[in-house]
Amino acid sequence: MQQLIENIIASGILGKNPPYQIVAAVVILIACAVVILVIALPFAGIVTWAERRVWARIQSRIGPNRVGPQGFLQWLADGIKLICKEDIVPADADPHLFKFAPFLVMLAWILPWAVMPFSSALILADLNVGILYMTGVTAITVVGILMAGWSSNDKWSLIGGIRSAAQIVSYEIPAGLSIFPVVMMTGTLSMEAIIRAQGWGPQHWFLFANPFCFIAASILFISALAEGNRTPFDLPEAESELVAGFATEYSGMRYSLFFMAEWGNLYIIGAIMTTLFLGGWQVPHVSSSPVVMNILQLIVFNVKVLFLVFVSMWIRGTLPRIRIDQLMTVCWKYLVPISFVNLIGTAVWVALWPEGNAAAGYLMAALGAAILVLFVRRVIYYLKRARMELYFRPNI
Amino acid sequence: MSAAAEYFENIKETVRTVFEGMAVTASHFVRKPYTVQYPDRMPRRVQDTLPFRYRGILEVDLEICTGCLACERACPIDCIVIACQKDAATKILTLAQFDIDIAKCMYCGLCSEVCPTGSIHHTSEFEGADFSLESLIRRFVTEPIAAYKPKKGPETDPHIVPLLERGMRHVDDYAVPGGDKPAEAKTA
Amino acid sequence: MSTLHTEEMTLNMGPQHPSTHGVLRFILRADGEVMREAIPDVGYLHRSIEKIAEKVGYHGFMPYTDRVDYVSAMFTNQGWGMACEKLAKIEVPRRGEYCRVIAAEFNRIASHLLSAGTMGMDIGAFTPFVHALREREMINDLIEELCGARLTFNYMRIGGVAWDLPPGWREKALAYLDHFEPILDEFNQLISFNKIFVERLANIGVITAEDAINYNVVGPNLRASGVKWDIRKDLPYSVYPDFEFDVPVGQGQWGTLGDSMDRYMVRILEMKESVKILRQALTAIPAGPVLAKVVRTLKPAAGECQIRVESARGDMGWYVVSDGTGYPYRVRVRTGSFAAMGLIPKLSRGLMIADLVALIASLDVIAPEIDR
Repeated sequence: MQQLIENIIASGILGKNPPYQIVAAVVILIACAVVILVIALPFAGIVTWAERRVWARIQSRIGPNRVGPQGFLQWLADGIKLICKEDIVPADADPHLFKFAPFLVMLAWILPWAVMPFSSALILADLNVGILYMTGVTAITVVGILMAGWSSNDKWSLIGGIRSAAQIVSYEIPAGLSIFPVVMMTGTLSMEAIIRAQGWGPQHWFLFANPFCFIAASILFISALAEGNRTPFDLPEAESELVAGFATEYSGMRYSLFFMAEWGNLYIIGAIMTTLFLGGWQVPHVSSSPVVMNILQLIVFNVKVLFLVFVSMWIRGTLPRIRIDQLMTVCWKYLVPISFVNLIGTAVWVALWPEGNAAAGYLMAALGAAILVLFVRRVIYYLKRARMELYFRPNI
Repeated sequence: MSAAAEYFENIKETVRTVFEGMAVTASHFVRKPYTVQYPDRMPRRVQDTLPFRYRGILEVDLEICTGCLACERACPIDCIVIACQKDAATKILTLAQFDIDIAKCMYCGLCSEVCPTGSIHHTSEFEGADFSLESLIRRFVTEPIAAYKPKKGPETDPHIVPLLERGMRHVDDYAVPGGDKPAEAKTA
Repeated sequence: MSTLHTEEMTLNMGPQHPSTHGVLRFILRADGEVMREAIPDVGYLHRSIEKIAEKVGYHGFMPYTDRVDYVSAMFTNQGWGMACEKLAKIEVPRRGEYCRVIAAEFNRIASHLLSAGTMGMDIGAFTPFVHALREREMINDLIEELCGARLTFNYMRIGGVAWDLPPGWREKALAYLDHFEPILDEFNQLISFNKIFVERLANIGVITAEDAINYNVVGPNLRASGVKWDIRKDLPYSVYPDFEFDVPVGQGQWGTLGDSMDRYMVRILEMKESVKILRQALTAIPAGPVLAKVVRTLKPAAGECQIRVESARGDMGWYVVSDGTGYPYRVRVRTGSFAAMGLIPKLSRGLMIADLVALIASLDVIAPEIDR
């Protein structure tokens, strides 16, 4: 971003001596607007379509396939419908808090895009506390959800809001603790630096660097799912119990703001996981042109993030919901102690091998491949047993 | 078992069952969806794929209706209204009204079971939704028609033969009380 | 420090709710998440079916019995048919009895599939619901070929069944059973043995055997508490003595004996037993008529009779009083769901709201059966 601003000033299209601060501010604002309007918001919409299609195939159904090619414009249709709905504010609800809450939740989702490392040159702000900023800012959701639950003047919403607050606050701990092993191994909190410390091959990813990081990655994924209110942790919006939990009294676009934030959060979860554990945008050095490299890096980053988004949807289709007290048990009795063990284990590992251990990387990558092979064999076992007709194409 | 062993057992069980569950759902990704894309993306009309016994909307073939009123008596919800009169002089039974209120009908099949010629039978139509309740009263008699008198031998009138065949197919499909079924049903 | 002043919340889990099975209303008194009591409020689906019997007569009441429990309509048909046959002293031919058993056992599988699926959906897993319904649709296709309807079958008549098995149906039914057994195992691997699912259901809503008998709970709910009572074995009717099958009883291996997980697993195991019965019935079905000769206007002698049928939801009792005319004097249906509702206030003390949903799902209550 710095580079970009200096390039623009140096190219002279803005005159001889433009005021640096104002140029910087305008360029950053335009870049932010581009990222949010062109990437973040459409993603939140498109991922609803993708989730419905993925979910439907898991359930032997088809999913939306009428509105637009393969149902691709379904999210636009839903968005337009939601905008046209009546904006109901319950009579006894606190109107200011009620109206403000969805925006807080959206804010908590939009702010992390500022440090999203799309490729080596495309990052809005390479803060040197990048990952800390991300963790901190995603916690604003708690305030928004509590506000929504309380101000709705509805006991069911209140229960949903309180459940969610407890859940998100609790799961911040294992999430934070699972980020520390990576921070210890690289010695920095900056997103770019963490990615640069990894390589493009699986053996160089932090996921496979040592067994403690492997477990830390799983714990981070689970905690991030819990923070995003995704199944199996979607108690606050448990459809079959509380209709829509904290968002019951909301209608129209306010309602959709909550859920755009939730679906968009999938990208943030994927991005954090990719940056920390899956090697980010690292690609082999195939070209010396920075444009080509950047495009490749962008593609690789997005492929990894979208794969993790797909895994989130897949888990949503598979697992049932955990109850609130079991959720707390899992967090405090299982995830937190294991995260501490990971932390200490990684500390010992870093003390023993400060430069990293390549052999361990290869070994763990082989282990990961073995688990994958076992999984595929199990899938084939089920396919053979069930004797149903196969169909490999994603479109119908 | 001890608390520590139970702790690790819980973790192991969770991981194993989640693995199994995800393998099952992953196997569903490559299976053909079971959905039927009704009504527009189907190779044939749904109504043509339904079995013969399907109890859809009722239909009456007035040409073979004998005016016995068995269906009106059998209907448990009183949705059939028949008006027939026997002319004292000519001894001809005339049907003046045959209304079936398909909004009331519960598609139970008791009326078609008792019909001797199969003139009232279920079709495979099921799309009866309409905008007014009055349109759901199907009036089958447009002008008074004489009731059908079943002949002793086989039917000779060429207009009536196909209707009677279709009707008797429905009648023969029902179980015969107390009697022996024809040969092919015994092997089923 | 003085104790905090807390208040109870009174919540209304209203007649329209995504997870009450039908139109049921619960008034919950809850202290935060933990409930003090859940009081059921029934009657939203009352349609006076028992009174209608007094107006339509014996033959005409058969389609109404479908609506008493529309998910397992074959059993209600069978109950009414058997009650009238006992009153009028009619004997059903053997092939007719076999047809009845085949239809009933298919309906039992369909009803348990629906129950297991909605259980999964209430716990939060949406996929098993759709899978179970897909299998149930295949059974509905089979029954549609048999009797013409997919839900309110009206298949049985007083004296037997209305239609014989169509040609080729037996092969299709056997092929379906071959397809179904591995799918049931896959369903179990997906959800029944899932640790999260087990943790949600184990030790929830424990009904002890003594409570079960005292509160008149029947069917899989009773068997899950350890009481081995199945009308098909203990008071046999129809041709069930011809078949070899087990009666699954709760073992309590996931938690306590009589908890929700036991009730769920008993239903899954009952589906396997039904498959066994179906295979035996489909291969051993004798030839002959399927319907006895019955007069059109049935006027049984004055008297009363009581019939018990093992429906998917348990022991369904039919009590019919006849006064010698063509219309019954009184018809009374006793269903398992109504008794189960009476047990909910006791079971719900100390449960969390999320558990109440699991409890209702595990009792497999169907609203039309409660209210008739």
